[in-house]
Amino acid sequence: MLKAADVEQTLRKGGSARVDDDVAPKFKPGQRVVARNLNPLGHTRVPRYIRGRSGTVDRDHGVFVFPDTNAAGTGKSPQHVYSVRFEASEVWGAETGAKDAIYIDLWDDYLDPV
Amino acid sequence: MPGDDHLHNHDHSDVPSDLALRVKALESLLVEKGLVDPEALNVLIDTYETKVGPRNGAKVVARAWSDPAYKARLLSKGGKAIAELGFTGRQGEDMIVVENTDTTHNMVVCTLCSCYPWPVLGLPPVWYKAAPYRSRAVRDPRGVLADFGVTLPDSVEVRVWDSTAELRYLVLPQRPPGTDGMSENELAALVTRDSMIGTGLAKTPSTKGST
Repeated sequence: MLKAADVEQTLRKGGSARVDDDVAPKFKPGQRVVARNLNPLGHTRVPRYIRGRSGTVDRDHGVFVFPDTNAAGTGKSPQHVYSVRFEASEVWGAETGAKDAIYIDLWDDYLDPV
Repeated sequence: MPGDDHLHNHDHSDVPSDLALRVKALESLLVEKGLVDPEALNVLIDTYETKVGPRNGAKVVARAWSDPAYKARLLSKGGKAIAELGFTGRQGEDMIVVENTDTTHNMVVCTLCSCYPWPVLGLPPVWYKAAPYRSRAVRDPRGVLADFGVTLPDSVEVRVWDSTAELRYLVLPQRPPGTDGMSENELAALVTRDSMIGTGLAKTPSTKGST
C-alpha cells in the first residue's frame, strides 16, 4: 500500500513502459504501412477508426512493452512503437481537410507493410 | 462552478451528487479493506491541486521561447529538456514536444481514454476526457478549434496527435507578437493550458489577463 511519505518519490519516479530489450524494428521512417484490422476481445491500443487504413511511418519511438499481451498477462512482448502519419483524407474521405493529418502511436504488431 | 446557474425550481438539499456519493463509497471501502492509506490520498490530491499543473508547462514554453539551444533540446529530447527544469514523473516518462509554426498547428487528444502529460500540465480538464472532444478532435479538428475560438487559415496544416501509446505530447505554441524583450516570467504568463494542448493559442500581451 502506498504510504503518504512515499507519494512524492513514487510520482516523481514514474513508471515508463519503455524497455531496453534489443529488438529489431520491423519498419523504418518513411515506409508505407497499413493498420491491421484487429478486433480482439481483450485490451488493445489500436483505435477502431484507423484499422485497415494506410499511413507513413514518421518516427520510431523505440521499444516498449506491448499492452495487448501485457494486459492479458501473457508477457511483455517488447517491440517498437512508431508515430504513423495518416492523411485526414485517407481516414475520413477525400473532401475532408486535404492538408490535415493524424499522427498515431502504433506498435509493430498493429502494422503490416503496404 | 458548473451548476451555479441552474434553474432554482427544485428544493436544495445537502445530498451530494450520485457521482460524489459513489466516489465516497468506493473510498470508504478501499480504506476499510486496508487497500488505500487516506493520508496518501490527501498527499496525492494536494500534489495535483497545488504543486503540479500547467504553470510547469508554461515555464518550459517560456524557456524555449527565450533560449534557442533549450528549444532545440526540447524538440529533440523532450523528456530530458523538461527534466532540466525539474519536471519529471508519472505520465511524463516519455515526452514528445511538437512545435507550432506559421505552417503547422498541432493538437493533442487521447481517443482511447485520457492520456495527458501530468508533470507539465497537471491533470486533464473534464472536456479533454469527454467523448465529444475525443471523437471530434480527430474527425473535425478545425471545427473543435473553432469552438475554442481559434480559426486557422487553410494554408496551415493541422496535425492531430492521438496519444494511444506511452508517449505523452506537449504542444510548443508560437511566441506571440509584441513580446520582444520580455522576461521568461512575463512570457510564461502568456502561456495557457489550452495553448499547450493545441486547442488554443498563447495570449498576446494586450489580451493578457483576459481569461
